[in-house]
Amino acid sequence: MSTALAILQALFLVLAAPLVRGAVGRLKARFQRRQGASVWRPYSDLIKLFQKEDLIPPTASWIFRSAPRIVFAVIVTAAAFLPVFQTTALAGHRGDFILFVYLLAIGRFFLMLGAMDGGSGFGGMGASREALVSTMAEGPLLLAFVAVSIVAHRPAIAGIVEWTVGQNFFDISAVHILAFTTLGIVSLAEAGRMPVDNPTTHLELTMIHEGMVLEYSGPSLALVEWANAIKLNVLLSLLIALFVPWGIATQLTWQALVLALGSYAVKLLLLAVLLAGIESVIAKLRMYLVPDFLGVATALSTLAVIFTMIAKR
Amino acid sequence: MEFAEVAAGKVVSTSAVFLMMTIVLLAVSRRVSTAILVFGLQSAIITAQVAGTAFLESSREAWVVAGLIFAFKVLGIPYAFFWLVQKLKTSRDVQAVTSPAQSVFLVVLMIFVSYAVVRSYAFGIRVPEDALAAAVALILTGAYLMVSRKKALIQMLGLLVLENGIFLAALTTTFGMPLIIEMGILFDVVIGLLLMGIFAFRIRDTFEHLDVSRLRKLRG
Amino acid sequence: MLLVLPLVIPLAAAVLVLTFRDRETANRAALIFCLAESAAIGSLVWRVHTGGNLEGTYLRADGLTSFFLVNIALISILSLSYATGYLRHMGEGRFASPRWFYALVNMFLFTMVGVCLSANLGVLWIMMEATTLASALLVGFYNTEGAVEAGWKYLVVCTVGIAFALFGTIVFYLAAVKAGMSQTSALDWLGLLAGVSQRRFDPNLVRLAFVFILAGYGTKVGFVPMHSWLPDAHAEAPTPVSAMLSAILLNCAMYALMRYEILVSRAVGKDFPGELLVFFGLASIVVAGLLILVQRDLKRMLAYSSVEHMGMIAIGMGLGGALGFLGALLHTFNHSVAKSLLFFGAGSVRHKFGTLRMDRVSGMGRSAPLTTAMLAVGALAIVGMPPFSLFVSEFTILSESFSQSRYVVGAVFLIVLSIVFGGFVHHFLHMACGAAQKTPPEQDFTAAEYAVMFTAGALLLCFGVRIPWSFTALLRDAVSVLQ
Repeated sequence: MSTALAILQALFLVLAAPLVRGAVGRLKARFQRRQGASVWRPYSDLIKLFQKEDLIPPTASWIFRSAPRIVFAVIVTAAAFLPVFQTTALAGHRGDFILFVYLLAIGRFFLMLGAMDGGSGFGGMGASREALVSTMAEGPLLLAFVAVSIVAHRPAIAGIVEWTVGQNFFDISAVHILAFTTLGIVSLAEAGRMPVDNPTTHLELTMIHEGMVLEYSGPSLALVEWANAIKLNVLLSLLIALFVPWGIATQLTWQALVLALGSYAVKLLLLAVLLAGIESVIAKLRMYLVPDFLGVATALSTLAVIFTMIAKR
Repeated sequence: MEFAEVAAGKVVSTSAVFLMMTIVLLAVSRRVSTAILVFGLQSAIITAQVAGTAFLESSREAWVVAGLIFAFKVLGIPYAFFWLVQKLKTSRDVQAVTSPAQSVFLVVLMIFVSYAVVRSYAFGIRVPEDALAAAVALILTGAYLMVSRKKALIQMLGLLVLENGIFLAALTTTFGMPLIIEMGILFDVVIGLLLMGIFAFRIRDTFEHLDVSRLRKLRG
Repeated sequence: MLLVLPLVIPLAAAVLVLTFRDRETANRAALIFCLAESAAIGSLVWRVHTGGNLEGTYLRADGLTSFFLVNIALISILSLSYATGYLRHMGEGRFASPRWFYALVNMFLFTMVGVCLSANLGVLWIMMEATTLASALLVGFYNTEGAVEAGWKYLVVCTVGIAFALFGTIVFYLAAVKAGMSQTSALDWLGLLAGVSQRRFDPNLVRLAFVFILAGYGTKVGFVPMHSWLPDAHAEAPTPVSAMLSAILLNCAMYALMRYEILVSRAVGKDFPGELLVFFGLASIVVAGLLILVQRDLKRMLAYSSVEHMGMIAIGMGLGGALGFLGALLHTFNHSVAKSLLFFGAGSVRHKFGTLRMDRVSGMGRSAPLTTAMLAVGALAIVGMPPFSLFVSEFTILSESFSQSRYVVGAVFLIVLSIVFGGFVHHFLHMACGAAQKTPPEQDFTAAEYAVMFTAGALLLCFGVRIPWSFTALLRDAVSVLQ
């Protein structure tokens, strides 16, 4: 039963991702006093793209063709580690958060290679920018995980969630607040949202992620876009699971599961509103300021780790 | 009323963490208006702390102090600063000597140092370690802001942060000093800011800029 | 009533002077108020001397208070009389008119008298911060580039310093509360005086408090390395204000340090505060003494000389003992008279030659003989030559250091004195001798200015030869408080 639920969890993360992306887009439009596209629009986009033809540049090699598949596979694997409705996930072992971070890194690596393989100048530029952003984002991501894991005395993501559910919400510890802020900043950078990258830009010189996927078309583009949406969903669910998991089902009864689904939906919606708000209010940072922004995240995560040692809670 | 007591207790014990986050935000802010808003937020957290302490200790004096701090430091002083920024018509940049990332690292180091310092004194006095460390960190951050920012307005803000830290140290160790002394201190701070504002205007008028690092005529 | 009067008079004067539009009336009003203030102080001092200490909730007076109040009264009379003549060329600018000057000076006096009369460590701090605030506008009075810079630096550096002193006050308060004193009486002077002897104050906390107090109030005194504001502020302020800053304000800050030294030495023994004071004193003497040699502006040089003398007073306080305290207290008084005289002379130089740069002034002996004579008296006095009074106080401090076998301290003291002597003589001779420059237009002087300088010089001479009995009694009362 719980394995079936775990598979369902992973599938949910994968399939609901375009909905999350559509919701964020719609909320942003509402912030800007527009009607905005329907929240189901990303689904129709994906269906349309899967039916189209896959155009390959003549200079591309097997990397260009396989990169979208690898990226998609990797992010789906990463989604398998995350508890959403119950406190265990499909996969999980000691130190799985390190594997999680590096799964994201593998995906990024192949995306960059594919972009450079595509042969266009914008691909190369996007790839080099992505390299800068991800270099600076990896440290805080790992440190934030480490800090939370030390406080919870559990070496696995599922274990951390289980421990956090047993805590009282009002016993907020400094480590958690700092780790939450760090992961928030890193999520913005990893998922390619403002203020690091603008997902709706059409000016190639301002693109990071969009520049890397400029050359893809048809199913390849569908897979890459879907993978990006899944990454956003995974990061948001990670924030919910690590820091505010209350409501998650500790026993497998129908009431608990319904409660879990409901609370997860509410929290995801709140995060989507927050994300839409941030994207509407804060302007995109110029490229040379992004390391400063991520440097703040690094400092906060360092402080979080220091606090695990010196603070009592 | 038990819930209120628990809430007050939680407010007092967790506000230290939020204060440290405002410290980091201050180090990161590049615009004067951001810094002023963060200072207002910081003062609001301190007001909440004073109010929580007043509730737990059932002390009327502390309620008066909380009200005064709210009126002056959360409402009055930020408003005065915004008015000053508008009147002085200077650039909005903070003119920091270090980049935001460097500032944040230095501030993190200062938080670490303040914990280390408080460790050695805290077991002698039975005070919550977090709050006292936050107070010392505020003092160090205030001093750092005065030293590393070239704009006169931010130096004034750094002085206010310093004074916030000292007040918080007094609050956590002795639940505040006698009311008349607190009022006198607050009065002094307000007049001091008034005078610094007057001088900021004079600097702007005589020197045509507000960059105090360029006031180097008198040396030796 | 007697306690409140010396505070009310300057406050009332500050408000009332603003209503006088005419310069002459403002001058006269200021002088009258000053004399009234001195009379009030005089009666307070007499009452304390004959009837014992006066106590109140926030104000009190004992021997030490009276000594410093007499100092304030005397210098304020001298400075205000000098100002009535010196300011005759000041226009009617927006905040730069004589009535604003007198108003601000009276506020300044109010705060300083408040420092001396405070009965409570919290009130002491509040008044101390108020002195900075009251004098900041006086320092920047002329609104030139240098004055504004000096005023800003003064305000910021001193406020930060006083903030640290606040922290020290809080730590001391914490120590008192922890030792069992009630919250309302833990800042009260009399209560603390009894408490430090009877109860056990946590020595770590008291030492930490004293370090911060020394750093904080030491900034106001002008100890090296917290002295950066002093040369600028004292040089750029109008001359009567410079005299008041050097002569009264530094003394009031030293008064605050003395109060804390009494408490701390009773709590943790004399060694800790004494050593710190001697250390800061030596640092101040050496640095200021060496910097005097390279100064080019007359008032800046005088400011550094103030730093040096405050260092001497700190050494006297740190050494302690009957002679140490006596020497330190006497030196506060003597230094204030001599420094006032020197600043007044500098004002004359400024009026006669248009500049205070010592290398641009020469031939003063021929073109301005009276000013030169006054400056000569002041300079000889300030470097410690007999028969002037500073020789007596410095000798007392030195003899204390030798009787305690602190030979290094005494040696450094003497070496710096010689260096400063050389510096002053060099600068003074350069100004006095040589070809007379073309005499600038400003020739006439009011009688007030000369009278004031004569009085100061005469005081220096008298006190150097023989201290009048009434003053000795005052001194003895003050020393007894310290011991």
